[in-house]
Amino acid sequence: MKQKITVALAGNPNAGKTTIFNALTGARQHVGNWPGVTVEKKEGTVTHSGRKIHVVDLPGTYSLTAYSLEEIIARNFIVDSAPDLVVNVVDAANLERNLYLSVQLLEMGCKLVIALNMIDVARGRGIGIDEAYLSSLLGVPVILTNGKKGIGLDSLLETIVFEVENNQSSDNFRRFTYGAEVEDELEKIQNLLRHVNYSLEGPAFRWLAVKLLEGDSEIVKKIDSGDDRKTIREQVEKSRSHLKNIFGDNPEIVLADARYGLISGAIKQTVQIERTDRVNLSESIDQFLTNRLLGPIILFAVLYAVYFFTFRGSESLVQYSESFFAWLGANVSETLPDGLLRSLVVNGVIAGVGGVLGFTPLIAFMFFAIAILEDTGYMARIAFMLDRVLRGFGLHGASMLALMVSGGIAGGCAVPGIMATRTMKEPKERLVTILVAPLMNCGAKLPVYALLIGAFFSGDRVSIMFLLTLISWAMALLAARVIRSTVLSGPSAPFVLELPPYRVPTLQGLLIHTWERTWMYVKKAGTVILAVSVLFWALMTFPGLPPEIQQSFQKKLEKLNSEFIKDVGASSVIQTPQALENFEKFTKEHKSDNAKDLTKALAAFSKSGYKSDNDSNQRYSLMENPEINTDVAGKFLVLRAKRLEVENKEQEERLRNSFAGRVGSFLELVFLPIGFDWRTNVALLGGFAAKEVVVSTLGTAYSLGSVNPEKSWNLSEKLRNEPGWNPLMAFTLIIFVMLYAPCFVTLVVIRRETGLWRWTIFAMVYTTLLAYAMAFLVKTTGSFLGIGLV
Amino acid sequence: MMSPTVSRKKCFDCSALEDNKCLAEKTVKLSNYKPGQKGQIVQVCGDSDFRLRMLEMGFVKGTEIKVVKYAPLNDPMEFEIRGYHISLRKKQAAHILMREPEIAV
Ligand SMILES: Nc1nc2c(ncn2[C@@H]2O[C@H](COP(=O)(O)OP(=O)(O)OP(=O)(O)O)[C@@H](O)[C@H]2O)c(=O)[nH]1
Ligand SMILES: [Mg+2]
Repeated sequence: MKQKITVALAGNPNAGKTTIFNALTGARQHVGNWPGVTVEKKEGTVTHSGRKIHVVDLPGTYSLTAYSLEEIIARNFIVDSAPDLVVNVVDAANLERNLYLSVQLLEMGCKLVIALNMIDVARGRGIGIDEAYLSSLLGVPVILTNGKKGIGLDSLLETIVFEVENNQSSDNFRRFTYGAEVEDELEKIQNLLRHVNYSLEGPAFRWLAVKLLEGDSEIVKKIDSGDDRKTIREQVEKSRSHLKNIFGDNPEIVLADARYGLISGAIKQTVQIERTDRVNLSESIDQFLTNRLLGPIILFAVLYAVYFFTFRGSESLVQYSESFFAWLGANVSETLPDGLLRSLVVNGVIAGVGGVLGFTPLIAFMFFAIAILEDTGYMARIAFMLDRVLRGFGLHGASMLALMVSGGIAGGCAVPGIMATRTMKEPKERLVTILVAPLMNCGAKLPVYALLIGAFFSGDRVSIMFLLTLISWAMALLAARVIRSTVLSGPSAPFVLELPPYRVPTLQGLLIHTWERTWMYVKKAGTVILAVSVLFWALMTFPGLPPEIQQSFQKKLEKLNSEFIKDVGASSVIQTPQALENFEKFTKEHKSDNAKDLTKALAAFSKSGYKSDNDSNQRYSLMENPEINTDVAGKFLVLRAKRLEVENKEQEERLRNSFAGRVGSFLELVFLPIGFDWRTNVALLGGFAAKEVVVSTLGTAYSLGSVNPEKSWNLSEKLRNEPGWNPLMAFTLIIFVMLYAPCFVTLVVIRRETGLWRWTIFAMVYTTLLAYAMAFLVKTTGSFLGIGLV
Repeated sequence: MMSPTVSRKKCFDCSALEDNKCLAEKTVKLSNYKPGQKGQIVQVCGDSDFRLRMLEMGFVKGTEIKVVKYAPLNDPMEFEIRGYHISLRKKQAAHILMREPEIAV
C-alpha cells in the first residue's frame, strides 16, 4: 500500500478546480513553478483516513490537444508524472462540453473520478442528472460536489482512496470505440508502437496511436526522436490519408465528432431538463453591462474605479511602507560608521529594495481589483467589448486590462500589468501586449514628469499630463501595430472567448489570488532588485575620486571650519576643531536644525559634558548670554550650508568620475543630437534600475545631494536656471523617459513571462530606439519651429 | 456510434460558403444571424485548427446556436450553445455554415 497518493485536478476553465483544491487542502498549499514553462502549478496536501494525499491543481483546459500551453502542461503532467488518480472536475451546469475532456482523460487510460461540481447551479437551472447511470455509462465513479459550500468533498476523498487502493487497472478506454475503419488504423499503428517499445501499457499505446492519427504536433515530435520513426511515420501518413478518403475530412475532426456523438448519447440517457420560465440572471445583468450604450460607459467607470481603488486605497499603506524604509535607512545610517559599508547598505540595498518593495501594497490592491474582475466574470466582458478596438492594432480584447494596469491611466506598474496577460490564450497577441505594456505611464515615471513639468510648464500641468497619457497610448498602439506587422506578423489566433455566468466571488478566493500574485512580485522583484541595486550602487560609487581631489575637498571643508572657529571662537565654547565636531554630534542628537533650536542647543552644550577637551571654564558664563548664542547659531547655520555645498560638489564630482558617470559622459556623444549631457545620461542609467531614480540621480549630478523624488522643488529651481535647460529640453526628456528601456524588474518579468531572453532584449532595444527617435523628433521639430526655447 | 457519411448534397457542405444561391436559399453564415435568432450548425469550415477548436467547444453538426447579441461596436458576437455563452469574431463566425435561422423564444 502506497503511503502517499498523488491526485491531479483536471477540468475545464471555471469548473471549480481551484475552489475544490482550496477546500481540500486548506491553508497547506504552496505555489510552485512548472519547470521550464511559465504557468503556475499549485500543490497541496490533505490527510484522509491516514493517507497523505498530494493534490495538484492543473490549469483549466477544454481539451488535451496541443493547442495551447495550458493543455500541453496539463497533458504532460498526466503523462509524465503519472498521478495515481485524476479527479476530473466537471461543471454540472455545462455538462456536455465538460464531458469532452472527460472522454479524453478516459482515453488516456487515467484512473478517473468525476467530481460533478456546481451541482447547485445545475439544479437551479432545472437540470436533473442521474449520476449513478452516468457513472455506469462512463465506468468511473461520479461524486456530486459543491465546491463553494464544501459539500461532497468527504465522499470525494473517500472515493479517491478507495479507487487507488482497490481498483488495480483501468480498462475504461476500451469502452469507447470509434467504429471499424478507425479502429483498424489505430490497431496498425499500435502494433508498430508495440514493436518499438515494450515497456508501455495498453492504454498508453492506444492513446499514442490516437494522438498520432490526429496529427498531434507534440506527440509527432516525440516519435520523431525515437528509433524506427520512419516506419511509424509512414504508417501514420497512410492511415491518415486512408481515413481522409473514407470520411472526407481530417481524422482529428472525425474523432472529435465521434466523441461528441458519444457524449450526446450519454447526455440523452442521464440528463433531464425541466423547462423553467425563470429568467437567466446572467443574461439580465448583461442587458446592462454589455449594452450597446450603457456597456462602454459602465466599462470606463469600472476601469476608473479599479484605478481609484488601487491608488487611493493603497496610498496610506504605501506611505507607511515607504516611511518604514526611510526610517530603516536613517537608523542604519546612524548605527553604521560613515564609509563604504554604510553607503552600500543605505544607498544601495535599502534605497533600492525599499524603493521597489515600498510599492507592494499598491501591487496587492491592484491584484485584488483584478481578482474581483476575474472572479465575477466581468473580465471576459471587458475583452468582449473592447476586442474590436484593440484588434486593429494587433492586440486582443483582453490586452486592455494589462495596459490599464501598466499605467493606462497614468500611474500603474508594468510588472503586474505584464503578469495580468496570463489570462490571454493567444500567444502572439499576448506577446505583443507584454512588449508594449512598458510604454504606459507607470507610477515611477510620474515623479520625473512632476519635476520637469513643475520646472518648465507651470500653468497648464493638467493638460500636459493628459497629453502625456494620450502620447503613451498612441505610442503603445502604434508599436503594437508595427510589431504585429513585422517581427510578429501572421494571422491572429481565433478569438474564442467563453463568457462565464456572473458569480459572486468568495473572499477566500480573492485573497488567495491576491496573495499568490503579490508574493510572486515580492519574491522576484525582491531578489532581482537587490542584485541590481547593489550593482548600480557600485557603478555610481566606484572608483571614487583620486586622492588629490578628495584632499582638496577635505581642505576646503577644513578651511571653512577654521574660519568659523576663528570667527566665533573668542565668544564661544567652540574653539577647536574637536569642539566643533562634538557640537555637531550634539546638534544631530538633539535634531536642532533651526536658529532657535541651535541657540538653545548652544546653551545646553556649554553646560553639558562635552567640555572635557576644553579647560576654558571661565567662558561658559559667556555662553549663557542669549544674544551671543543667537549670533553663533546663525553663523553655524551658514557654515552648515557652505559645507553642504562643498559636500554636494564632491558628490557630483564623485558621480561624474564613477563608472556610471564615465558611461554617461561617453554617451554625450550618442545623445548629442537630443542634447542630453552627462548628468541626464547618468540619471537615465539610474532609471534603468527603477524610473524614479532619475530624479534622485539628477539631484546628485546637480550638486544638490540625493533629492527626494516627492520633494523636488529645489531641483526644479536649479534646472530652470541651468544653461541648456528650457521647456523643449524638458519635454524631450519627458518623452525619452516615457518610452526608453523598461526598468530592470519589468525586464525580468518579461523574461519570465515570455520564457525567452530574445524578447527581453528586444523589448529593451526597441523601446530605447523608439525613445531616441521620438526625442529626436521633438527636439528638432521644436528647434525648427522655435518652440519652447526660452 | 458515428455516421461516416458526409452529406454531399450541394448547399450542405463548406462549398456553400462561396455559393450565393445556397446562401440566399438554404444555408446561412453564422455571421449573418441577427440577435435573437437561432438555428442548427450545418458545417464548421475554415482551417483544421479552427475547426478542431470549435469542435472541442461543442460546435458539432446539428447543434443549435442562438445569437445573444453583438458587442457594442458590432463585433465580436455572443452566442449561446449547449447551455453556455461564447464569443467569436464575425470573421470566424463567417466560417460556420448554418441552416436558416428561426426566432428563438
Ligand atoms: N455556485 C457554485 N459556485 C462554484 C462552485 N464551485 C466553484 N464555484 C465558483 O466558480 C468560480 C470558478 O471557480 P474556480 O475554482 O476558480 O475555477 P477553476 O476551475 O479553478 O478555473 P480555472 O483556474 O480558470 O481553470 C468561482 O467563482 C467559484 O466561487 C459550486 O459548486 N457552486
Ligand atoms: Mg483555477
